[in-house]
Amino acid sequence: MKRYTLKTFLIEIGSITYFTGKFFREVFKPRYEFSELIRQCFYIGNKTLPLVAVTGLIMGLVITIQSHPSLKAFGAESWLPSVVSVSLVREIIPVIIALICAGKIGSSISAELGSMKVTEQIDAMEVSGTNPFKYLVVTRVVATMLMLPLLVILSDTIALYGAYLGINMKQEVSFQLYTNQIFQKLTFGDIIPSIIKSFFFGFGIGIIGCFKGYTTKNGTQGVGEAANSAVVAATFVVFIIDLLAAQISDIFQMT
Amino acid sequence: MISDSTYQNTPVVRIKGLDKSFGEKHVLKNFNMELRDGENVVVLGKSGSGKSVLIKCIIGLLRPDQGSIEVLGEEVTKLHHVQLDKMRMQVGFLFQSNALYDSMTVRENLEFSLRRHSDKKTIESMDALVMEALTNVGLAETVDLMPSELSGGMQKRIALARTLILKPRIILYDEPTTGLDPITGKEIANLMMDIQKKYKTSSIIISHDMNSVKRTANRIILLIDGACYATGTYEELSQSSDSIIQQFFD
Repeated sequence: MKRYTLKTFLIEIGSITYFTGKFFREVFKPRYEFSELIRQCFYIGNKTLPLVAVTGLIMGLVITIQSHPSLKAFGAESWLPSVVSVSLVREIIPVIIALICAGKIGSSISAELGSMKVTEQIDAMEVSGTNPFKYLVVTRVVATMLMLPLLVILSDTIALYGAYLGINMKQEVSFQLYTNQIFQKLTFGDIIPSIIKSFFFGFGIGIIGCFKGYTTKNGTQGVGEAANSAVVAATFVVFIIDLLAAQISDIFQMT
Repeated sequence: MISDSTYQNTPVVRIKGLDKSFGEKHVLKNFNMELRDGENVVVLGKSGSGKSVLIKCIIGLLRPDQGSIEVLGEEVTKLHHVQLDKMRMQVGFLFQSNALYDSMTVRENLEFSLRRHSDKKTIESMDALVMEALTNVGLAETVDLMPSELSGGMQKRIALARTLILKPRIILYDEPTTGLDPITGKEIANLMMDIQKKYKTSSIIISHDMNSVKRTANRIILLIDGACYATGTYEELSQSSDSIIQQFFD
């Protein structure tokens, strides 16, 4: 295992910054790999969909069941739909889905690129006159950026339905009344920042996964290490972006 | 063996004063060589002597620290990536690990570079080109299989077919028979010779396998500690009294 010192940490930060700079240089330059981008969008979206849907449903249910006693103690039971929906849409679902994707997509991208690196497939792509960075990295990062907000929107919807089920376990509330209560409190000021930050979560997860995979060393052992460190680093990046997003929302009075 | 008269005197690859280091390790030291049109040059040397680094510098995968590499009249070290890609269309590279794209079928592996670098007409006739390349290596029936479904020898042939599909003028072979049984190794060596005759290619072959070296080499360059130690035909070197050279032929 690689020993981490302050020097290696700083070198890694420098390398990721260079890698990110290269991404921005390549992303706008032709040739555009649309077919590979669509394939990656399908792969990332389709493979994560069941997990994201189930997580959304469970989170909606659990948060509602957990919040119910506290609100009941204050006699604020009727606030349950609005409180739960705002917390789910603004914070819980985007962060939970980003963490799931950091594990599933981040590790899968880094393991795939890592194994391509150690078996010289990336070199083979380069000698066949294809820019492997554009074909492999740009498409995966853009696909993750595009898919994560969509997965979050889907999961938000399912989580709100889960919350409705959770409320109905304790009391009887019609779906129409429930949605009315949600949309009285939930505004675009809650939804838009959560979608924008999901976009940046996607970027962070994609860049970290690709960086770790693309720079894999030490054969098959290195592939495992790359996948592992991609998950750790992407998880960390998700929290950093979340912190920044909270600060920026606060500055722009979106809280 | 092919006689010297079958190839021209025009050099297609010319390397002068090539130096390459990785940190403290000096891999190539003032290396010089020429590959003439139609010639097969085998670079022979111990593991870690810089053979693979040499051909990776030729194709532009590694940047030398010093020296010049001319391929088909173009200085590789000075080429912009667009020009480098154009040059690479004329130089095939057979990787030691085959480097087949394992998420693609054999057909997709072969079509990959064709789709990117060919005109509309070539793309329309892609099926025929894929089948021609596969027939050349005797594996037309594997067209819809995945690389993981093929044996090591078959993967090597498919990798060779992928190299051939763009009809390169030069082929760089990185240990083409390593890891194969002697019979399959002999078949691959014969295939390399058939390809050279059919497509009139020039080749640089990195090899340890003396049977394959004997079969394929017009000329051998012995690389010791990153520098050219000796050069000559198989017969010349095998009769040398130098103990270092003899290690390879014993």
